[in-house]
Amino acid sequence: MRAERDNKRTMKVLMKSLAIVVAVVAFFAIVPVQAQSQTMTDEHVERIKSNCPVALATLGRIHANDLPQFINSNQTYFSVGDKMMARLNSRLSLNSYDASQLVKTASEFNEALRTFRDIYKTYDNTMSELVHLNCQRTPVTFYDQVANARQQRGEVHETVVRLESLIKQYREQVEDFKEQHLGEETAE
Amino acid sequence: MNEPDIHNEKPAVALPWYRQRLLLLVVGSVIIALLLVVIAMAIYVSSGAAQLDISRPGYQSVQDQVDTTTFESFPSTGSVDTETIDDFLELYDKQTGRVDSNDVFSEDALADKALGIDAP
Repeated sequence: MRAERDNKRTMKVLMKSLAIVVAVVAFFAIVPVQAQSQTMTDEHVERIKSNCPVALATLGRIHANDLPQFINSNQTYFSVGDKMMARLNSRLSLNSYDASQLVKTASEFNEALRTFRDIYKTYDNTMSELVHLNCQRTPVTFYDQVANARQQRGEVHETVVRLESLIKQYREQVEDFKEQHLGEETAE
Repeated sequence: MNEPDIHNEKPAVALPWYRQRLLLLVVGSVIIALLLVVIAMAIYVSSGAAQLDISRPGYQSVQDQVDTTTFESFPSTGSVDTETIDDFLELYDKQTGRVDSNDVFSEDALADKALGIDAP
C-alpha cells in the first residue's frame, strides 16, 4: 500500500514537472509571434488583405529577378576564386615566393562564397513559400514571412558586401606583393 | 509402357490477386521508381542545383539575363615578374567588374511600404 502511494506521488511530481516544462516551452514559442501580431491594428490587417495580391505579384517578380542575379554573381565569384586567386597563389608558390597573406584572403573568400550560397538557398526557400501563401486568409503570417524574407535578403546582401571587400583586399595585397618583392625589378 | 502418370499431378489453382507475379512486378517497379525520384529530388534540392536551375516554371522570362560568357583563367605556371602581376591585375579588374554589387539583394525591395503592406 505504501509503495503504491509512493508511486502515485512520484507520478504526480513527474506530471507537474512535465506540465511546467511544456508551459515554459509554449510561452517562449508563442510570445514572439504574439508580440508582432499584437502591434498590428485591424486597419493594418485590412490593408494587408486588400493590398496583398499586388504585393504577391511584386514578390514574384523580385523572386524571379533574383535568380539570374544569383547565378551571375555565383559564377563570377567562383571564377574569381578558382581561376584568378588560386592560380596566382599557385604560381607564386611554385616560384618560391611567400604568398601566405594572399592564400589567407583567398581562403576567407572561398568561405564567404560558401556562406553566400547557403544563405541564398535559405532566402530562396523562404521566398518560394511566401509567393504561394494565401495572404488574404492568413495576412499576419504573410506579414511575418515578409519580415523574415527581408531579414534573410539583408544577410545575402551583407555577404555580397563581404565578398566585394575581400576582392578589393586581395587586389591591394597583390599590389603590395609587387612593391615588396618586385620593387627592385621595377626600379631597374 | 513408360507413360507419365498424369493422374498424380495436382490441379492448377488460381492464386489470389495479391500473389500474382505480374502484379508484384508492376507494383514493385512503381515503388522503386517513386523511391528513386524522391532520392533524386532530395539531392536536387539539397545540393543547391535547384537554386541554379532557370528551366524551373516561372523563370523562362529571365533566362536571357544569365551571363553565358566564358571566364578567362590566369595561367598557374610560368615566371613571376612585374609584367606578370600587371597582366594579372588587368585581367582581375576586367573579370571582377562583371557584377555590380552596390545594390544587390537590397532589403529595401521588400520594405513594407514598397509592397504596400505598411501600417496606415
